Amino acid sequence: MSAPATPSGVRAVRPVSLALLLAAAAALGYLSGYPGRLGPVVAVAGVVLAAALRATPWRTVAAYAPVPALAVLVLEAVASPVGLGVELIAGASGVAFLLWLADDPARPVGGSLRSLPTVAVPGLALGIAWSSAFFLPSGSVPLGVAGGLLALTVALVAFLVGRPQFFDREEA
Amino acid sequence: MTSGPSRPLRWRPLAVLLLGSGAAMAFVAVLTRNPTPLFLALPLLLAPVAAALTGPRSAPPVRLSLSVEGAAAEVRVQGEVVPDPTVDARNLVVEVRCPPSLLEPRPPRLEYTTSEVGFHADWTAPEPTIAEIPVPSVLWRDPMGVVERGTISSAAPVVVSRYPPELLRIGSVRLERTTPLPGETHSRTVGESGEFHGIRLARPGDHPRQINWRATARAGRTLANEYDLDKTGDLLILLDARPTPLGRTVDERLFSISRAAALGLSESFLRVKSRVGVGVFGEFLDVVPLSTGRTQRIRIESAFKGAHLSSVHAPAERCAVSARRHFPPGLTTVVFSSLSDETSEDLSPYLRRRGFPAVVVSPSPLPLVAAASHLSGEDEAIANRIAKLVRRDRIAQAWEDSPAIDWDDYWSLGKFVEFVRRPRVRGVG
Repeated sequence: MSAPATPSGVRAVRPVSLALLLAAAAALGYLSGYPGRLGPVVAVAGVVLAAALRATPWRTVAAYAPVPALAVLVLEAVASPVGLGVELIAGASGVAFLLWLADDPARPVGGSLRSLPTVAVPGLALGIAWSSAFFLPSGSVPLGVAGGLLALTVALVAFLVGRPQFFDREEA
Repeated sequence: MTSGPSRPLRWRPLAVLLLGSGAAMAFVAVLTRNPTPLFLALPLLLAPVAAALTGPRSAPPVRLSLSVEGAAAEVRVQGEVVPDPTVDARNLVVEVRCPPSLLEPRPPRLEYTTSEVGFHADWTAPEPTIAEIPVPSVLWRDPMGVVERGTISSAAPVVVSRYPPELLRIGSVRLERTTPLPGETHSRTVGESGEFHGIRLARPGDHPRQINWRATARAGRTLANEYDLDKTGDLLILLDARPTPLGRTVDERLFSISRAAALGLSESFLRVKSRVGVGVFGEFLDVVPLSTGRTQRIRIESAFKGAHLSSVHAPAERCAVSARRHFPPGLTTVVFSSLSDETSEDLSPYLRRRGFPAVVVSPSPLPLVAAASHLSGEDEAIANRIAKLVRRDRIAQAWEDSPAIDWDDYWSLGKFVEFVRRPRVRGVG
């Protein structure tokens, strides 16, 4: 038997995934277009606020913890300039955010390890997308293909979200 | 484990947040012709779908055990959840809910391994009660907390009853018999609920479980076992479920206390093979006819679990007339009534007139009223004193019709037990 999953008082913070998210967000903030050191400062503040919300013993408050972390990532990604390095960091910070989500202190330890099969899917897709952007020549045709694929993906995701029974498998 | 109702996959609010943010960033990327938000959007859009695909594709079966221990006010609930080997137990979310009549000083402890989840909860019963502990809810949830799915278990709720410990041995008191021939009587229950008496020829109407198949094979005729049951007497337990001026909250609590004590009383007498009948008088009299055995225990427990306070104040004569219709006269009758107003005192005179010698056990509302009082210091002391005097007067008035026991310490029914054990005092009633 391992340690209790729902300890009383302040919850334990899982440092590895938090450090990963902090580093990725700070790097994205550094590369974003905000003047001075505002980008990294906002990134660190958002992630620290998210970690603090998550460490509170109140469930209802802890449920809102992902919002500030996601908000700073969105703000920085929108303001970032075009560049392969920035794109890679933006994608990596998204994956780091997913790993941080899996390390919920209200649940048994090792969440990020257990979530690896799940996180591997967007990680792989990200790798393919970035490799395509890196190796394929830029132009209006690849951009159109990418736009079409994106629209298809969004439509597919919307379809799946609307029909969760699609994931059910009938018992024999 | 059974295949229960369908438990489809459910998206959690986090999934909506991820998908909404991802879609918004994708559109921003197209509008601003900047692919960076798109790279951030990609993991957010794909994560919920990946979580749904990598999890169990149908409701995972779990083996759930639930047990209750402890005595008196202490209620210790423990158990374990063992999922299908393909499911990691650490991805299960177990929620143990405390029934409203019990107090939960601290949240339940959960202990996780890869193959099972153990849970322990220490609850407290502030007063005697019958509470149904629901089966803990068990959900499979992906590690990110994006999707979840219900599980299938065949566990049943556990009923916990807590009543004063003196009631455990009250069954040894010999009750007045209401059957015409005292002594040994044939067991009415099927099976070995009584003492084995002998073998006789089977008669039409004998239950197959009564047939002695070996003896039948030896003799070549159908023979049946006969059991005798030494009964000490019969008991009728009546609960007054009518509303009083004390208000719904206090009435509910007093009724809950009475139910628990009545269950303890019935269990104790059923244990010594007495016949016990039950009546709950709200607007009308709901009865469980006289009987004995394990089935009767379950019937009575179900009746008490389902009993609730009436919103209508019915006349006491209706109870007495109805009791006479369902039970033979002369039955030893224990009435649980709060005696908190004049109208609740009239139950025992009517019962006595219809031939039921009644003893009234009256749970006192004073401890509950005092706990809810906003007074303090000297005012509180004076109010308590006046309330005690009024209560004493009411009990004295009730004694004029039948013996009445003031039950003010809910965890002790010593006064009642002492009363039924001492014949001299019983004679007074």
